[in-house]
Amino acid sequence: MRATENQGSFLNRISIRRNQVVSMDGNHEQELEDIELFQKHVADRFSNLLSPSSSSSAESPSDSILSIAWLRKLLDTFLCCEAEFKALLIIGREPSQVSKPPLDRLIPELLDRVVKALDVCNAVTHGVEAVRHCQKLAEIAVSALEQKPIGDGQVRRAKKALNSLIAAVAIEDRDGVGSKSTERAWSFGRRGGSACAGSKDRTAGQFRSLWWGMAKGWSAAKQIQAMSSNLVAPRGAESTGLAHPVYIMSTVVVFVMWALVAAIPCQERTGLVTHFPVPRQLGWAQPIISLQEKIAEEWKKKEKKCSAGVLEEMQRLERLAQSLIEFTDSFQCPAEAERLGEVAAQVAELAETCRRMEEGLVPLQQQIREVFHKVVRTRTEVLNVLDQVGKASTTPTI
Amino acid sequence: MEDFKSTIQTHEGNQHIIAAAFHLTKALVASNYLPEDMKKIFTDLDSHFSAMAVITETKGRKFTDLEQRLKHAEEEVVAWMSNPLMVCDSGPHEASQHFKVIDEIHSLMESLRNSPAADEFGKPTELLRRAESLLQTAMSRLEEELIHILHHHKQYFEPEYMSFRSCGSDDVYDESFVSVEEESQDEASRRNSTGSEFEDHLVDLIHPNVVPHLKSIAKMMFTSDYGQEFCQAFVKARKEALEEYWTTLEMETFSIEDMLRMDWKSLNYEIKKWNWIMKIIIRVYLPSEKRLCDQILGDFGSVSPYCFVETSKASMVYLLTFGEAVAMGDHRPEKLIRLLDMYEIVVDLLLDIDNLLFEEAGCYVRIEFHELLAKLGDCLRATFVEFRRVIASNMSTTPFPGGSIHPLTKYVMNYINTLAEYVDTLNVLLKDQDVEEEDPDSIFEMHNHTKDSSSSTSCPTAYHFRSITSTLESNLNTRSKLYKDGALQLVFLMNNINYIVQKVKGSKLGVFFGDTWIREHIAKVQQQATGYVRISWSYALSLIRSHDGHALPRVTFKERCRSFSIAFEEVYRNQTGWRVPDPQLREDLQISISQKVIHAYWNFTGRNSNDERHIKYTADDLENFLLDLFEGSSRSLQNSRRR
Repeated sequence: MRATENQGSFLNRISIRRNQVVSMDGNHEQELEDIELFQKHVADRFSNLLSPSSSSSAESPSDSILSIAWLRKLLDTFLCCEAEFKALLIIGREPSQVSKPPLDRLIPELLDRVVKALDVCNAVTHGVEAVRHCQKLAEIAVSALEQKPIGDGQVRRAKKALNSLIAAVAIEDRDGVGSKSTERAWSFGRRGGSACAGSKDRTAGQFRSLWWGMAKGWSAAKQIQAMSSNLVAPRGAESTGLAHPVYIMSTVVVFVMWALVAAIPCQERTGLVTHFPVPRQLGWAQPIISLQEKIAEEWKKKEKKCSAGVLEEMQRLERLAQSLIEFTDSFQCPAEAERLGEVAAQVAELAETCRRMEEGLVPLQQQIREVFHKVVRTRTEVLNVLDQVGKASTTPTI
Repeated sequence: MEDFKSTIQTHEGNQHIIAAAFHLTKALVASNYLPEDMKKIFTDLDSHFSAMAVITETKGRKFTDLEQRLKHAEEEVVAWMSNPLMVCDSGPHEASQHFKVIDEIHSLMESLRNSPAADEFGKPTELLRRAESLLQTAMSRLEEELIHILHHHKQYFEPEYMSFRSCGSDDVYDESFVSVEEESQDEASRRNSTGSEFEDHLVDLIHPNVVPHLKSIAKMMFTSDYGQEFCQAFVKARKEALEEYWTTLEMETFSIEDMLRMDWKSLNYEIKKWNWIMKIIIRVYLPSEKRLCDQILGDFGSVSPYCFVETSKASMVYLLTFGEAVAMGDHRPEKLIRLLDMYEIVVDLLLDIDNLLFEEAGCYVRIEFHELLAKLGDCLRATFVEFRRVIASNMSTTPFPGGSIHPLTKYVMNYINTLAEYVDTLNVLLKDQDVEEEDPDSIFEMHNHTKDSSSSTSCPTAYHFRSITSTLESNLNTRSKLYKDGALQLVFLMNNINYIVQKVKGSKLGVFFGDTWIREHIAKVQQQATGYVRISWSYALSLIRSHDGHALPRVTFKERCRSFSIAFEEVYRNQTGWRVPDPQLREDLQISISQKVIHAYWNFTGRNSNDERHIKYTADDLENFLLDLFEGSSRSLQNSRRR
């Protein structure tokens, strides 16, 4: 400033230029920093999901992987990532930036995945109803078997409920195609005999009516397949800038939806992919890859057994139900004290599982709705941004 | 009462037999003709009977008594199980008989539980087990009865008015941007009739005759602590009934993805269907379902709302999702009316939904319906903005042939005419929506119009209608510039503005635009007409106009005649190809041309009447030729070929 006028103007010009450069650089650096932070947060959040019991007491496995509590954490994680991603993509950004290649292709692809995710959310919401249905049946068994002293009547009562439960679980996979036939196999023609003889026939429709809000022929497995099919990590020049967070978010969406579908029964899951490619060299992806492997392993076991998904509580319910059915089959009055002790422990475990389901399922369902609504909102906001760009560049003609 | 007596009689009957046996034994022991060993047996028996008599006096007798009753109950249950007829099908007598058995089991269990833990024979515990087992058998049977009744006595309602056909499913009302003509009259009248037809219609979803029976089954199962089983079976059956009904309504379910991809024609149809089904399900079916739940389960506190919500939730969530998916869609202007329909239906049914889901259990669905309303509102506002934007930006590079009424004008005016039906809703939705500032004209106009100060011209809808119309006008102005001929520009504007004015005057739109607006726009059309005559005819007029009132020199007259004929033929050839579809406007134009031109021609030929052979057309000829103008088919005067 103290320099001559000439110099001053010259220096000023330089400093202005430098300021411009600096501020551009600053923006760019800021963006890089934000992207890096986003990656780190994604990695941290999913790492927490990987080792869940670190925070909680060792008292129960209640938040072990694929438990209801864990799924709720997973959804929390999703919501956090989603909010951060939205901020990164939209806030303070020139709309034209999101319409440049490769984003002009990646963002519509993401939105397409997001719409598919909404249908998955709906399917899983119905699926939670199916799980609740099983819970109610288990509760009947619990209240019957908690009676003391235990007698033949209560045993038969429990057996009936447990058989329905197992049938419901098994039917989910065989009948889960959403076949909405209006004819029903009512088994009233042949009545009589033991009271629970007809129960197996009748449970055939039990899960069917749970899917009826879903579109015919809709398949969770195909949906996940479609969501993951064009999921490709950006390469070369594309891998810097916003393309990367868009890819991260896409991966998060696909992973979370896949985990939900694996955990919770929903329409047509046969052939659910157990693996979608996430490049191992990406730091943030490590926890997701590990989780994916664990869940896939559970899922493969499940497919062999033909059970109702890998939700921890459901697996427990199923296992306990099988074991208690064995007990009811061989029950003779009076039962041996030793056997009764075992049963009492199993009943207590069943009761505890039911309690956890009772506590967790409704909030889980609400959380799924929350995810649904958040995702809808973000989609709208992103579309608005794209719309602004679109309107600036084109005018429709009749 | 009768049946109870019969139970007691049987019971007493048993006692008589015992008493008889006792007497017989006593008599046999006393007699002499029995062998010693047999006598011994009878003596033992006698002492047993005596002991029994002693027990009768002590608590021991109670167990025997209870055991007897249990045995009897067991027999009855066995008989019941072997009867293939369902209780409700076998008459009230047997029904209450069976229910009495359950009462009897209850009272037995009650007594057994109240007795000291165990006597020396472990009897009460053993009897209690047997009673529980018996109860389980009876309950299982009751559950079957329940399912049977729910299945065989369910009813659906299918009154005449319920047909979706009558709600106009098959009109091909495809409001794509250009195809709309005068479609909306029947649409509007239909709308007015749909408001109340479902009101206060509760129907019996289960035959009323069996409802008391279901109620007793519920009572039996709940008092036996089998409430969970009851709820499971009840909810399942009712849910299936709803699913079946849904199928008969031919409501297809779509995924959100499907809906976002759906073409407008199908979506339009599905939205209409949704509107119709919303009314049936929310206003008739579900309230009837709720009443059924209350009738059967009203005595069991929160059980009734629980069962209702479990039964109905999936259907409500689907209806909700459908609404969400529509609100997520793009904002093409043709959706506006369907969206308004949806919005109005949700507003209309919100109170019903609140009443249905009053309880905690269905709370989130209720809240989501409120949110859906807000989303539909946002979507509507965005669509409204888009509607304006499309009008403003709808441009072409070629002029519209013949200067006639542009389809856009028709579309917009018919559209807002239909929109006028939704004035109350629009007023709410558009209340805080500013008219876009870019259009100072419309803001000026709005201020102008507050002078009219009648509420209908100053409501938000009126502002927006006028603003949309002025957007349309500026679009037309821009379009008019595509014509090279200034006169045709004016004809085009005249045609279109006249159409707008006529549409406003001839419909309920008048009240939104007000007299001031109408006067101003009529004046505009008149100005344009005057302008047209000036531009089109000033040259021809200049040839025949007299400046001093005297006859022209012969050569000049001949030359002027020739030039005038050529000028007239030129205009004729051009303007017969132009179109003024409104006969009144056309006539007005022809009259004002006639007043100016024919009148001047008449004077011109009159002044020079001595030289008639140069006059090619008489004034009457010209008058007739004028009638050919603006018919939209280009012609030329036959004998005009010269040189």
